[in-house]
Amino acid sequence: MTMKPAIGLLALAALCAPVVATAPARAQASGELTVAFGAEGTAVDPIKYAAGVDHYYIGQMFEQLVRPDPSLKETNWLAEKWDISEAGGKPVIDVTIRKGVKFHNGDLLTAEDFEYSFRKLRDPKVSRWSHLQAAVERFEIVDAHRFRLHFSEGDGSYVANQLQLWAIPKKYYEQVGEDGFSKAPVGTGPWKFVSRTVKEDLKLEAFDDYWNKEHRPKVKKLTIKIIPEDLTRVAAFKTGAVDWIDAVPPSMVEEFTKMKGVKTLSLVTGNNLFIDFNTDMKGSPFADVRVRRAAAHAVDVDAIIKSVVFGQGERYVQVGKGSAGYDPNLKPLAYDPKKARDLLREAGYPNGFDTPCYNLTTPREPNIKEVGEAVFAFLGTVGIRCKVQGLEYGAWIVMGRRGRSGPPIMDGVISWMWSQNLPGDPAIPWAGHLHSYVEGKGWGSYSHTADAKADAMVEELKRTMEPTKRVALIQEIARYKNENVLGGLTTYRPKVTFAWREDKVEFNPWPYPGYYRGFQDVALKK
Amino acid sequence: MLGYIAKRGVHGLVSIVGASMLIFAISRLSGDPVLLMLPPEAPQSLVDETRRHMGLDQPLWMQYLIFAGKALTGDFGNSYRWQMPALDLVLDRLPATIQLAVAALLFSMALAIPFGVLSAVHRGTWIDNFGKGFAMLGQAMPNFWVGLLLILVFAIHLEWLPPFGHGTPAHLVMPAIALGWYPVAAQTRIIRSSMLDVLDSDYIRMGRAVGAPDWVLIWKYAFRNAAIPLVTMLGVYFAAMLGGAFVVEVIFAWPGLGRTVVEAVFSRDFPVVQAGVLFTSILFVLSNLLVDLSYGVIDPRIRRDG
Repeated sequence: MTMKPAIGLLALAALCAPVVATAPARAQASGELTVAFGAEGTAVDPIKYAAGVDHYYIGQMFEQLVRPDPSLKETNWLAEKWDISEAGGKPVIDVTIRKGVKFHNGDLLTAEDFEYSFRKLRDPKVSRWSHLQAAVERFEIVDAHRFRLHFSEGDGSYVANQLQLWAIPKKYYEQVGEDGFSKAPVGTGPWKFVSRTVKEDLKLEAFDDYWNKEHRPKVKKLTIKIIPEDLTRVAAFKTGAVDWIDAVPPSMVEEFTKMKGVKTLSLVTGNNLFIDFNTDMKGSPFADVRVRRAAAHAVDVDAIIKSVVFGQGERYVQVGKGSAGYDPNLKPLAYDPKKARDLLREAGYPNGFDTPCYNLTTPREPNIKEVGEAVFAFLGTVGIRCKVQGLEYGAWIVMGRRGRSGPPIMDGVISWMWSQNLPGDPAIPWAGHLHSYVEGKGWGSYSHTADAKADAMVEELKRTMEPTKRVALIQEIARYKNENVLGGLTTYRPKVTFAWREDKVEFNPWPYPGYYRGFQDVALKK
Repeated sequence: MLGYIAKRGVHGLVSIVGASMLIFAISRLSGDPVLLMLPPEAPQSLVDETRRHMGLDQPLWMQYLIFAGKALTGDFGNSYRWQMPALDLVLDRLPATIQLAVAALLFSMALAIPFGVLSAVHRGTWIDNFGKGFAMLGQAMPNFWVGLLLILVFAIHLEWLPPFGHGTPAHLVMPAIALGWYPVAAQTRIIRSSMLDVLDSDYIRMGRAVGAPDWVLIWKYAFRNAAIPLVTMLGVYFAAMLGGAFVVEVIFAWPGLGRTVVEAVFSRDFPVVQAGVLFTSILFVLSNLLVDLSYGVIDPRIRRDG
C-alpha cells in the first residue's frame, strides 16, 4: 500500500472556530438529579474503554480535542485550533490546546498530558484501541499548549474520529497508577467523579472550575442508576424514583409521548444495521450481483421499521443522514418482489434456493432478533429460502469474523451491524466489511465481499485526511456499493428515546462519540 | 462431632476443586473472549498479541495450573470485561445475593410451614385446598413475571414499595417474594406428607389419648419430627436460590452476584465466572454442612448416633 500525496498542501484552519469560553460565568450549580440508564459501562478510565457503552459514563467526566455539538457539527473542544499539513511527504496534525483548562484535581491541562494519553492509548497491554494510533509515528511537544502528530501515512479515520486522544492528567495518573485511576478518575469534563458501585450507580458532582462557562450543568449532583430491565426502568420513572430515563422500550414510546408532564426525544444512534451476504465463497449464489439485487428488492425495510421496531429506526442508504458523505440523492433499491423473482430467474434460480441465514439473538438493539426473522421471511417470499440459525453474541462474532486462512465460516446470509459513529464516518466499518479480507493486514476482518474496485476505493479513503475529499470519495463508494449491493444490504439505524419530567428537568442532549447521553446542558426547573 | 466435620470438610474441598475444574473447562469451550473484547476492526496481530498477553495461547492444563496456583493466593486475575480484580467484583456482589437468597428462603418457609402443617391437620378441607392452591400458584408463575406484577401493583399503583434498588428492608420485599414463592409448593408438599406420617404415629395418638392440647401435639411434637425432610432440602433450596437469583436481580436492578456471573458467561469473562462459581460452590458446601449439623439439634437421636 503506497501513500498518495493527497493530504499535502492543506492547512485546515477553517475547521477551527473556537466554541465558547467567552460567556460570563453562571450561578453555581445546585440541586440533585437522579437518572437511569439501561446499560452499564465497564470502565471509567478512557484509556481502558472497551465498548461504546463506556462513553455514556466516560463522556461525562473526560473530554477530547474535538467533539460533535448537539446538532452533530464537529466543534473544537479542548483544541483551540488544529490543522493538517505535510512534512517530508508525510501528514502532520498540528494542535493548539485551549489554555486555562483545569482537571478536577486542579492541575492545568498541557500538551504533556496528551502525550501521556497517546502513549497509553497506543500500548496494547493497556488499551484495546492501540491500532487506532498505529499510523502516528511520533508525538512532538512544541510547547505547553501545542503539539504535533506525525503520521507515517494518511489516516482519515483519525480526523473523522475526533482526533482520538483523551485528556488525562499525567501527573495524577502516574501518582495513583492504573488501578487507582479507575477507582478515582480525574478528567476535565463538566462532571467530576464521586463514587461508583458496580451494578448500582455512578455518582457525579458538577465541576465548579469547568472551563466551558456556556455549556455546563446547572445541577450540583447527578446520580446515574443502572436499571437493565426495560419495564423496571419505566416503573422507576413512573413512580418518580428517577426523573430521566434512556432507552424507552420501542413499544412504549407512543405511550410516553402522550404522558402528561413528560418530554420525550427520539434520536438516531451511531449504529448501522445491515444484512450481509457471502459473495466470497465459491459457488455462493450471492456472488452474482443479480441475486444480491433480488435480495435487496425482496425486503420491505420500511415495513420492518414501522411494525417490528415501532418506528424506532431511520432508514439509511450506505451512509446515515448527517454523516460525512451523506447523499440525499442516493436511493435504496425499492421493495419490489416481482422484480426480485425476475432477477433470480435471470440468475438461474427460477425456483429459488436454500441458504443458511444467521440471526443475532442477543438484544444488542431493541427487537434485533425479530428484525432478522422478518428480513429472512421477506427473502423467503421471493425464493431465497432461509434455514435460520439463531446465535448469541459470542457465537455471532465468531461466525462473522475472518482472521484465518481459507473461506469464511459464514456461508450464507447474516444480520450484522457496525457503528459509523456520530456524526458518522464509514471508513472504519467499510475497511472491515466492504474491503476484502487480507490476512495479517487488518483489512476485511468481518468481510464476506471480494471486489477489487471496492478495495481500491476503501484504501484510498483510509489514506485521505482532507474532509472535502473524503466526502466526495465516500459518496462515490456509497453509489458503487449501493448499485452492486456490496458489503451488505443496509437497513436502518436504530433510534433511542429519552424521557424526562418536563416540569422538573431541562435537558439538551449532547452526543459523545456515537452516543447521546452527555449531561452537558442540564438544569433543574424551579 | 469434630471428626464428622473434618470428614465433611474434605468432601467439600473435593467438590470445590471438582467444580473449579469443571467450570474452567466448560467456560473455555464457550469460545474466545478476545474477539468480544476487541473492536471489530482490530487486526489479527492485535488479537494474537492480546491472547498471548492474557495467557490464552497456553495449553488448557497449563492455564488451569496457573489459575489454581494464583487462586490459592486469592488472585483470580483481572476481569476481562471490567478490568478490575475478579475477586473484588465477586466479593462486592456476594453479600447482596446472600441477603436476597436468605430473605427468599425465609419467605418461602414462612408460607410453606403453616400451609404444610395446616393442610395435613385439616386434610381434605378448604384450608388444605387453599394452601395447596396458593403454593402451586408460585410454581406456576415464572419469577420474572411475578416480579413485574409486584412492581406494577406495589410500586406503581399502590406506591408502597420502591420499584428497584437495594439498601433498605423495603427494597428487599418484592425481590424476596419473586424469588421465594416458587419453591413454596414443593416445601408445602414435603411438610404436608411428612406431617401426615407423623400425625399417624403411635406417640401422637398416645398424646391425644392422655389429653394433650392439639397445638402442643402439632407444633411441639409432630412438626419437630416432620421438619427433618424439609431441613434436608434447605441446603438445596438455598443453592438453587443463589443460582436462580439472576432473573430477579435483573428485574429489580439488584446488585448481586448472579447477574454479574451470567453477564460474565455471555462476555466470556473467565476470571469472573471462575471466581463466582467457586464462591457459589463454597456457599453450597457450607450450607449443606450446616444442614447436616442441624439434624442433631432437631433430633437428639441423630446427635447420639453421630
